[in-house]
Amino acid sequence: MSYKVEVENLNAWFRERKVLKNINLKIKKNMVTAIIGPSGCGKTTFIRCLNRMHEIVPGARVSGKVLLDGEDIYSEKVDPVQVRRKIGMVFQKPNPFPMMSIYDNVAAGLKLNGIKNREKLDEIVERSLKLANLWDEVKDKLNESGASLSGGQQQRLCIARALAVEPEVILMDEPCSALDPIATAKIEKLIRELRTDYTVVIVTHNMQQAARVSDYTAFLYLGELIEYGPTKHIFENPKHELTENYITGKFG
Amino acid sequence: MKELSRLLDAGLEDLSAKLYRMAEIAERTVETSIRGFLEGLDCTEKVKASSDILVKMSVDIEDKVFELISKYQPVASDLRIIKSYMKIGYDLERYGRYAWDISFIHKRLANSRKCIYQETMIKEMTETVMEMINISVNALKSHNAEMAKTLAKIEDEVDRIYFRYLDTLGESQAETKCVITNLLVVRYLERIADHAAYIGESIIYIATSERVTLR
Repeated sequence: MSYKVEVENLNAWFRERKVLKNINLKIKKNMVTAIIGPSGCGKTTFIRCLNRMHEIVPGARVSGKVLLDGEDIYSEKVDPVQVRRKIGMVFQKPNPFPMMSIYDNVAAGLKLNGIKNREKLDEIVERSLKLANLWDEVKDKLNESGASLSGGQQQRLCIARALAVEPEVILMDEPCSALDPIATAKIEKLIRELRTDYTVVIVTHNMQQAARVSDYTAFLYLGELIEYGPTKHIFENPKHELTENYITGKFG
Repeated sequence: MKELSRLLDAGLEDLSAKLYRMAEIAERTVETSIRGFLEGLDCTEKVKASSDILVKMSVDIEDKVFELISKYQPVASDLRIIKSYMKIGYDLERYGRYAWDISFIHKRLANSRKCIYQETMIKEMTETVMEMINISVNALKSHNAEMAKTLAKIEDEVDRIYFRYLDTLGESQAETKCVITNLLVVRYLERIADHAAYIGESIIYIATSERVTLR
């Protein structure tokens, strides 16, 4: 089993406040890894450290290593923009570019990367929308605004946008929290399909969602990694009392 | 960190209360059927009525388990308890069913009269089986894995008596109907002992999450 992302002694701060404490975690390739834990435990900060988005926040800093295929993404010679191309992010609230068409939303990242050939763009837009299970619903209205789609469709559009630049890892920060059960089911199905070609890390507050979609689960509490293992073990037989109490809803 | 009371807790309490009540009825049902056989009494009606109640309770427990799973999606120790309780409900139902089988065959073949071959050995077996049932019920109520583990040794003892009894029966010159009655009774007792061991295995799983075999 090869590891796609290896996190070593990762610490993160917002100014003086330390929000991640010495996290060590190896994320397996072509697997879905869920990050769970109570609000404020550092889940979102953790995944934002995986593609160097944490450092964008004023006063935020990071120490430790995050290795992508063995190479430290925090090394001085690494360009953070390239890191974010290889490690894409889908956010909690669907955020298509509102003034752009469905087509342009997907093509935006490609154009920024200098791809101008229309045929090439058409091909990638179609492939990305198909991968995101959205093509059949939008193929006849590619020029309409992305904002005209339903919430669930918008989120799949954002996934298509993330996929268009051919990332290797996809980070998802509560991608279904604003969606109804049907839209959620579609995204969850998509997440399972994506693991064939990508490594997925998902932050979720929904225990059942973590149990349904992930192969591995990590439980964070007060910035520390408490337990990490196969999802089946975490949800049937957690080793740590804190994990047990959290997933069974026994503390708050 | 503070403990929260959960909506699931009320459901779990209800489920436990149903199962413990069922365990008490199951224990009494086996006790009644064994006493009928040992003392030559016709207990078929009483045992049948209890056995039917146990079947209904087992269905009731299954319904409750499905309700709790669909409503609360339990995980970890909650899930282990819920799925084990459904299994134990079935084991308790089998206690009742074999108790009924004992009373039924005793009436059908021996007309409910006292007809015991090798009384000492039969009594040794019935006492050992009743001890197992009692341990299984007490271990269930306390989720006591150590107590449940003691069932393994006693189950071996039941098997030893069972095979010794079969050997003895093979050489007997006793009345055929009586031989067959006794043969079936020890067979049912041996099956009851197996279910007591299954209950022990479920309790160990609830308490420790380990899957062990007590047979």
